[in-house]
Amino acid sequence: MIEVDLTVNGERYKLDVEPRLTLLEVLRENLLLSGTKEACGVGECGTCVVLADGEPVTSCLMLVGDADGVAIETVEGLAADGELNEVQQAFVDTGAFQCGFCTPAMVLTATAMLRNGAKPDVEEVKKTLGGILCRCGAYPKILEAVAQVIGESR
Amino acid sequence: MTGYVGTRAARVDSVEKVTGKAVYAVDLQMAGMLHGAVLRSPHPHARIVSIDTTAAEAAPGVRAVVTGRDFPYLFGSAIKDQPFLAIDRVRYVGEPVVAVAADTEAMAQEALDLIRVDYTPLPAVVDMRLALADNAPLVHPDLHEYWKGPHEIIPHTNVNTIYRHERGDIEAGFAAADLIVEGEYSAHALSHAALEVHAAIAEYDSSSGGYTLWVSTDRPFMLRSELAAGLGLDSSRVRLKVAQVGGSFGGKGVPVAEAVAVALARHTRGRPVRVELSREEDLTASQVRPPAIMKLKTGVTRDGYFTARTAEVLWDSGAYTAYTVGIAIRGSQTIMGPYRIPNLRILSRQVYTNKSITGSYRGYGTTQVTWACESQMDDIATQLGIDPVAIRLQNAYEEGDPYLNGQIMHGVGVVETIEKARDAIGWGSVERQPAPHLRRGKGIATMIKPTMTPSSSNCVINVEQDGRVSVVAAAPEIGAGQDTVLAQMAADAIGVALASVSIPATDTALTPYNGPVASSRTTYHMGNAIVAAGAEIRDNILVLAGEVLGVEPDDLDMHDSVIHDNDGLALITLEDLLAKYSGEGYSMTVGSRFSTADSPLLKADAGVEWISSIFWMFCTQATEIEVDIETGVIRVLKVAAATDVGKAINPMTCEQQIEGGVIMGLSNGLFEDFSIRDGRIENGSFADYKVATIQDLPEITPIIVESVHDEAPFGAKGIGEPAAAATPPAIGNALYDAVGIRIADLPITPEKVLRALAEKNLAESRS
Repeated sequence: MIEVDLTVNGERYKLDVEPRLTLLEVLRENLLLSGTKEACGVGECGTCVVLADGEPVTSCLMLVGDADGVAIETVEGLAADGELNEVQQAFVDTGAFQCGFCTPAMVLTATAMLRNGAKPDVEEVKKTLGGILCRCGAYPKILEAVAQVIGESR
Repeated sequence: MTGYVGTRAARVDSVEKVTGKAVYAVDLQMAGMLHGAVLRSPHPHARIVSIDTTAAEAAPGVRAVVTGRDFPYLFGSAIKDQPFLAIDRVRYVGEPVVAVAADTEAMAQEALDLIRVDYTPLPAVVDMRLALADNAPLVHPDLHEYWKGPHEIIPHTNVNTIYRHERGDIEAGFAAADLIVEGEYSAHALSHAALEVHAAIAEYDSSSGGYTLWVSTDRPFMLRSELAAGLGLDSSRVRLKVAQVGGSFGGKGVPVAEAVAVALARHTRGRPVRVELSREEDLTASQVRPPAIMKLKTGVTRDGYFTARTAEVLWDSGAYTAYTVGIAIRGSQTIMGPYRIPNLRILSRQVYTNKSITGSYRGYGTTQVTWACESQMDDIATQLGIDPVAIRLQNAYEEGDPYLNGQIMHGVGVVETIEKARDAIGWGSVERQPAPHLRRGKGIATMIKPTMTPSSSNCVINVEQDGRVSVVAAAPEIGAGQDTVLAQMAADAIGVALASVSIPATDTALTPYNGPVASSRTTYHMGNAIVAAGAEIRDNILVLAGEVLGVEPDDLDMHDSVIHDNDGLALITLEDLLAKYSGEGYSMTVGSRFSTADSPLLKADAGVEWISSIFWMFCTQATEIEVDIETGVIRVLKVAAATDVGKAINPMTCEQQIEGGVIMGLSNGLFEDFSIRDGRIENGSFADYKVATIQDLPEITPIIVESVHDEAPFGAKGIGEPAAAATPPAIGNALYDAVGIRIADLPITPEKVLRALAEKNLAESRS
């Protein structure tokens, strides 16, 4: 067992956990933050993305010890005060999801990409989101959602 | 006054999905819950000699170890051929053999390593053509002894389905042809690859002998019946509670994780057991689209009209039939396409092989047969020198045409879908060679899809004292947006605000019967049930309002939960009206049942009425592609996809289905390819089984065509399936247009393109 000091969505957790556990497992099983999803467990689908110090990472490949001292953001942290952030709102407005299983990863990655008023072009957006699978094929509406956010921040 | 139907209302599941609050089966945690793991067969076909579980049973944290002999039941809706866990024999690589329940998933996995199974390998048949041979190994030597439904089989062979249909005079039809075109086409196995893997929690109640399951399924009542029938229980002894479904595409219907969870739960003294497949298990050992080999022979006149077609289709069910008997029958019918063919004959056979089980897949056979039909359509057009669009338009069904069984077709918008796709893609002009190594072409393909008929839907609408409305409808939200369109229809049928409508999660103990969320049937069937119940509850509300206000109910109406007079003057809100009952408490409930069984629209030729469909869906896609003649890589640039949905209840969710279908079709047609050696799927990961990403996205123009259907709720038919089927042949036809090669076997890989280009160049250099 190792002791880890996690900061998730601004809240601190001191946990005794097995060192072989991934951040994804600890988020879902220990902290019961089930908004972060698992779809492959080996870093190939992007479904489990969380933000680590603001950057998207696949939490299934991050050992929990490596998350010690890192500011972790999950989808549950985005609308903590009850108000959707502009990316979430754009996903709602444009219908940028279907089954919703990839949505936390898509929303988090897009939020990170668009922070500080960034205005990536469509090819950059596709490249940034290219590591996250959406089997429902919500891709066109996801691009529309991102365009809406960029348009609004102009 | 306008309502919600026809608007781009935000999906009712929006907020829970963008905030991560939506709860899927994989998210559920329960007190005392154990974790299951499965030891699977390494052999495509073998006899189980012995199983030694002694060491596993003694391992730390292990609470139950279960084999097929401990749980000796069979299930299957068309043929009861599948054990919950293998009994004495394994029939595919990945078949569940022993299940373990332990305190943690890791403990369960570790215990698997302690189990010893001795097998005697048996000759396996992994090729569907060889499965037909007289001396082929039999996957199910006891086929003749299984319970089965009314369909035909050939006992003591691997043929688990045989189906024939004939109409007109086939010999005369071919005799009248100026040209006869023959071809053989094949469609491959595909994974549904829903991002949420198969997962289930099961709990056994020893006092009732019943089971409760928490599942991710698109067809709760069919799944319940199948489990209960397999276990020899009354169906109400099996209770299913359905969470959000993280994608289905037809793949979350038959018992997969459920079968193992139930077998374990029977042996855990009442503790719930969760079984969640790994991605590898989900890709290789849940179920796949049934592969098909399709032979088509078509006679046409010089000016491009059909005189006759014969279709011979061979389907591969894999080791067990699951829901594929219906595919072999219903799917084969649509190989005739949306075309008037006066003389036709279908022979369909489905065989067992020692491969992963197959199942229904978005389109229920149409994704396979549309590939054959539409590829050959372009071959015919080429040989006759007729434009591919023109030949489709001149043969396409129109309102009132007879279907294969003589049913008079109603709500037929196929011509409009062809015209709109043609116009949107800019048919007739293309920049052929944008770079020395690149060639461009355009292609078109269309399709027809019936819906499960007859079938029924029930709903209960409950209005609470505060004016909130529950629509109790067992139509799990699988991602396709049905909660939203059902809520929109309910809001308009009753006259309440959309925000006041909610659809509780399905629980088979509480929710009345509904057919499956499959066959694109939910909007039409559940919609009709909701429209009927909604109208009745609205009348009840207006009668009550008339009493309270001292007005004739006929002089009242209600919109957005506000009761008003016929001039539109608001009189009282629904909530204020019902507040009169605040002392005693109140709720107003109406239930309704809708079935298509007695619809006069289904009338057809004697003996083949069962082929009729209550409505028809059509989708035409036109594509522009670019092929790199040095690498063989195809890039799809544009897809114009026109789908006849009847009335669009919500144009945004219709677009989602069209766009999602196109992307799935593109992925199926170009990328997804199992590497199967000796019956074993070797590429059980997303790294090796490529699914389309956002970087593969072409420019998609979704086009909604609204044909008129008199019995549809607000005019709406269905939309979930059609788009996925038309994309691969539209791409294949564009490839022919670009470089003059035809790939007949899916998928269209760069290797096949390069080989065909080389063969074409060789043939041209010889001539």
